[in-house]
Formats: sequence, C-alpha cells, structure tokens
Amino acid sequence: MKKVLCTVLALVMALTLLAGCGSAPASGSTSGSTADAAGTTIKVAAIETAYGSEMWQEVAAAFEEQTGIKVELTTDKNLEDVIGPSMKAGDYPDVIHLATGREDALTETFIKDNAILDITDVLSMTVPGEDVKVSDKIAGGFTETSLTNPYNDGKTYLAPMFYSPCGLFYNAGLFEEKGWEVPTTWDEMWALGDKAKAEGISLFTYPTTGYFDAFFYALMYSVGGPEFFEKATHYEEGIWETEEAQKCFDIVAKLAEYTEPTTPAQANDQDFTKNQQLVLDNKALFMPNGTWIVGEMAEAPRADGFEWGMTALPAVEDGGDRYSYTWFEQAWIPAGSANQDAAKQFIAFLYSDTACEIFAKAGAIQPVLNIADKLEGDNQLFYSIYDNGAKAAMGNFAATNPIEGLDVRTVWFDPVNSLVSGTMTEQQWIDGIIAASDQMRAELK
Amino acid sequence: MLTAAFSAETKDICWTRAFCNKLKGDEHVEKGKGRKWFIFFCAAPAIILFTIFMVLPTLNVFRMSLFRRSAYSPNEEFVGFENFAKLFADTNFIRSMQNTILLIVVVTIVTFAFALVFAGILSREKIRGQNFFRVIFYIPNILSVVVISAIFSAIYDTNNGMLNSFLSLFSPEKVAIMWKGESLVMTSLIVAMVWQAIGYYMVMYMASMASVPESLYESASLDGAGRVTQFFKITIPLIWTNIRTTLTFFIISTINMAFLFVKAMTSGGPNGASEVALSYMYKQAYTNSSYGYGMAIGALIFIFSFALSAVVNKVTERDTLEF
Repeated sequence: MKKVLCTVLALVMALTLLAGCGSAPASGSTSGSTADAAGTTIKVAAIETAYGSEMWQEVAAAFEEQTGIKVELTTDKNLEDVIGPSMKAGDYPDVIHLATGREDALTETFIKDNAILDITDVLSMTVPGEDVKVSDKIAGGFTETSLTNPYNDGKTYLAPMFYSPCGLFYNAGLFEEKGWEVPTTWDEMWALGDKAKAEGISLFTYPTTGYFDAFFYALMYSVGGPEFFEKATHYEEGIWETEEAQKCFDIVAKLAEYTEPTTPAQANDQDFTKNQQLVLDNKALFMPNGTWIVGEMAEAPRADGFEWGMTALPAVEDGGDRYSYTWFEQAWIPAGSANQDAAKQFIAFLYSDTACEIFAKAGAIQPVLNIADKLEGDNQLFYSIYDNGAKAAMGNFAATNPIEGLDVRTVWFDPVNSLVSGTMTEQQWIDGIIAASDQMRAELK
Repeated sequence: MLTAAFSAETKDICWTRAFCNKLKGDEHVEKGKGRKWFIFFCAAPAIILFTIFMVLPTLNVFRMSLFRRSAYSPNEEFVGFENFAKLFADTNFIRSMQNTILLIVVVTIVTFAFALVFAGILSREKIRGQNFFRVIFYIPNILSVVVISAIFSAIYDTNNGMLNSFLSLFSPEKVAIMWKGESLVMTSLIVAMVWQAIGYYMVMYMASMASVPESLYESASLDGAGRVTQFFKITIPLIWTNIRTTLTFFIISTINMAFLFVKAMTSGGPNGASEVALSYMYKQAYTNSSYGYGMAIGALIFIFSFALSAVVNKVTERDTLEF
C-alpha cells in the first residue's frame, strides 16, 4: 500500500511539473449579438508611444461604461515582446493597436499570414453611444489605402488610427534669425544646403532609415504623381528604370551628400534621438519626422529661440506639386480572436466623439471629420499643412508573401546609411532595388 | 555518462540482490526492486524535463527548418532543403556569418590572452590591492548586457562621447570618429565584448592556478627558471584541461552574447554592417515572417558551433598531467 502511494505521489510530482506546459484550448466561439457581448471581456493590446498610455485606460473605461463589455488592457512600449509569446501559443488579444513600419513588423507578419479579420462590416456599424455610422465619421481616403486594405480586394482589414502629417521638421527660429526662406523646390534646397554649409550647419539628418519610408513615398508622389506611386509600390516591371524613379534616386543620393556625417553611426533604435538632437542644436537643418516629435523631444535641451517648423517635401520643379505623407497607425482584430463581435464594437467606439476627445487630449488625432478645428498649439500648425497647399500622400508598398532574406526596409531604405558614409554607390543601391522588386512582383498577394 | 552511471547502478543492484538472496531470502528481493524504482523516479523528472525542454525543441528546430511557415500562424508547407539552399545564396546571411566568425576568433584570442595573463599576475605575483583588482575585473560580469551597451554607447558617442572627447585633448581639432559607423562598428563591438568577458575567464583560470602546487614553482626557480618560463612551462600545462573547457565556452558564449550586444547597441546597423548570425536569424524569423528560414539559420548555427567545438577540442588534446 505504501509503495502504491509512493508511486502515485511521484507520478503526481512529475506531472505537476509538466502541467504548466499545456496550452489553453482555443475557444473559437464568438458571441452572437450586442446583448450577448455585454458582460464579456475583451483583451485589448495597444502600443505605448509618445502619446502615453493613460488615454487608453480612459478610453477603455468609457467603452466599458457605454457597452458593459469589460476590457482587459495591455499597453507597453515593446508591445510585440509582451503579446508575442502568448500569441505563438495560440492565445490572441481581441484588438491590437499597432502600426505597420515598426522594427519588429508584427502587423506586417499578420498581413502576410492572412491572419487579420475582415472588418469591412465595422464601417457600416453604428458608433456605440451615437447614431452615426463609422464610415460617416472617418475622413475620406483613409479606408481606401493599401495600409487598411492590404490585399486590394475592396475589403478593409485594418482600422485607421491616429494620423500625423509627416514632413521635414526644422527650427523655424533659426530660419528667422538667419533670414533664410524655407525652400519650396529641390533646387532651392541645394542652394540653402550650400549656404548652411558655409556656416558649419548640415542641410539634413534623419533619425533612422526607417523614417525614409514616409519621405520616399511623398517623394515618389511629388516626382511622378499618384499613378507612378501606384505602379512603383506594386513593383511594376521596369518601373525603377524610368525617368521618374531615377529622379527620386538622384534626389536621395544628393541629399545623402548634404547629410550630417555622423548620422549613420547614430541611426539605430538606441541612438536615434541623438540625430533628432542635431536639429535642436542647430547642427542640421531638416529631418524627416512626424508630429509626435514635439512630445518625444519635449524634455530635450535646445538652441536659444528654437521653434518647431514643418514643411512638405519641396517640389521637383517650380510650381510643381508638394506632398506631405499622411502617416497613420492601425488597429486590427487578429483572426484568432475569441470575441470578435465585441472587438468590432470596440473598434467602432474608437471613432466616437468621447474617444476622439480623450485621444486628442493626449495629442493623438483620430482621422475623423472636422477634428482639425479642435486642435491647439503646435498641432494646429502641423495639421493645417494640407490647407496650405500641400497634397496628402497615402499608401505603402503592396503586401507580398514572405520572401526569405528580403524585405522592403533592408533593400530600399537601409542603404541610405551607406550612401551617406560613401560605402555604396547610387547605382549599387538601384541595382539592389531592381533585383528585389523583380522577386517581390512574383510574390505579390 | 548518465547511461554509464545508470548501468553501474543496475549492476550494483543485481549484485546486491544475488548476495542478499543467498543470505536472507526473498525479503531482500523486494528491497532491491524498491531501490530500482526509487532510482527510476529520482531520475525521471530530470530526464523528462530535459527531453521536453531541450531535446524536443532542438529536434523541432531541425524539423521546422524544412518548412515554409511564419512565427504566428500554424500553416506550414514542406519545402525540403530549399531554405538551406537559399541561405547560401543570401549575401546578408553570409555577411552575418562572417561577422560571427570574426567575433569568435578575435574575441576568443584577445579575451583568452588578457584573462590568462591577468590571472597569472594576480595569482602568482604579490601586488598591492590584489582583491580589489579581482573585484574590478569581475564587475562587468555582474552587469547586464543592456547596461554595458548603454555604457559603451556613451563612450562611443560621436559628438559628446568619452572616447572622442579624450582623443580631442591630443588634437587641435575636435575628433569626430564614428565608432558605430560602418567601418568601425565591429571593432567597437569586439572591445565591448572583450571588456565584458575578461573577468569571468580570469576567475576561472585563477581557480585552477590556485591548485598548482607551490613546490613546483620553488624547484623551478631553484633550477633558474624565470617567471615567464614558469608561466609557460608550469602554469599553462597544468591548467590545460581548464583552458580546453573554456575554449568551448568561448565559442558558445560569443555566439550568444554577440546577439545581445548587437540587439542592444546597433540593431545590426548601419545597413547590416554589424549583423551577426543570431540577430539575422531573429530578424528573419520574427520580423520577416520567414520562421522556417530562421530555423534553418538556427540549425546551421547549431551544427556550426558543435563542429567548431569538436575541432577545437580535438586540436587541443594533450595527455593530462598528474600533479
């Protein structure tokens, strides 16, 4: 008897050690209607950026109050590291707010895997607590880009969130002090570059090469218009050998010559603020960035009389179109979410007046109609860029199936570091792009 | 080794059983059997855990390297050795592998030399503040890699860094060497990694040097051998077993630490100049949706580190000296 007991105990000991390895059974059921949804709990995971995380807590609380659906909120600066492990084990959050273009490319991974839920029906849902449809609130154009409809099939998979005009940021105070004009064409830009060089100031810097996406997209628009952008981002055959493409490459290559020489050494995720600091210290004139820069560098020391300024990309020729890229974040529902209906309600709620106000307080501007009227301070200036003649550029490179050893950033933007250091020629950069583009065309989704 | 110990135990049990049977009858058969079960249950948790957490995942890495799949979706497609074929044509991978080998070779040689010499000095010579130096050398080991990376980032900063500021003292103009620029980034990583590793290996060498009998040194000095001769003729041969072990450690830890340093200091940049095999594997597996491809890199590194350790082990084989 004693022996049996010992055996059983030993077995139990061995088994309890392994108990932790089991994964929870995937519950695929979704709650049927709004009435069912009340009382359920959804898991919301949101990236914490320069806007902070309090606004998410407030929005979650407002949503709970409005619908009765409980929200379990996770916010973190490295959200991928926090939610990644449990997702690998099959446990997905119901709503994820995480933009494309991040180093870890989690959202892109889900797009490539077709693992994002189609949320086209959310657009025709009524915003909780209001009697307006979601589609009537979202500003025009935002749900028609490849960032929200990655597969070009007329369906929306990602909800547009916090938009921010991107452009070239500079110290307006310095321009005033020196009596310089903000250039409106690239020729004026180079002339200014030479003038600044004489005073020991570089024309350009960039935080990391990741910031070149918005810059390059706007550049493609301003050189060849929306048609060229569309063809280029869909890797059309021979597109990179056209005159327009050559013009884009030439501008970036020339800009590399005017770039502050220490920039590449600091263009990594740890030191990028040192590059941003170059503008605050009057060591470089322009940098590509978004409106979040004001909050991000709020505590940083700066030159006397510093004042933020922002301009759209210069035109290629006098009187040509000037573009500012509209960068926006995305919220989406993983296909593996267990509470899809409640999750859709949460997304609809993100466009309610209540939520928009909470977000706007923290500086995060939802892409809803008439929001620009409510802005204050620097934001008023930044968000009025489109009223001052700049056109909005939207979209990105079309999604492809995963290609081993190849991604857009490594081929298109990272080599800018080498162009600045002089270890790569413009032609080598272009050759790399042409070769990659051929491979990507074959894998288009 | 485990099996050898186990069979020795079993033999022992059998012998005990036969002996006891003769002497005291059947009661002892029960006891012998009980002991067998006892050993089985004692060893079982360790064996089960080792299998589940080490053997199976390793086998799984090899299995997944034959598939095309991403990190977050369960869909997979068998592609055979295609991932490996692509690897050898991927110039970014080849560069990351070159960087890894460079780190293994240079970090090992430099750290080994410094650690051995410092250990020799601290254990054989009588210098003031011996314990103080021991502690100082060991401190980098207590710090996390992230802290070390932050320290070195402050040292390497181009505009306000300690290193450039120091060099500026000797130059009429402000020195602006880009320590994390394309041409110097690997050197900068090597310096940080050597600084981090010296203390650990030094302590290991000191521990085995302490067991070398003093009498050997005394008789050597009576025979007229100088300090340097003693170091090469007595100390090194007598701690050779320890040195061999650390060489394997060097290979494994350099591969692993390089990933942490790259992740925390350079993100593989500028333009992939400081990418190492593991950071490239991570990038492919998690940020480029090519999990299978990443696992192929993992499998290759696994084989590479095993093979390299085996070669180093074989090359450094000597008869063990008894003392």
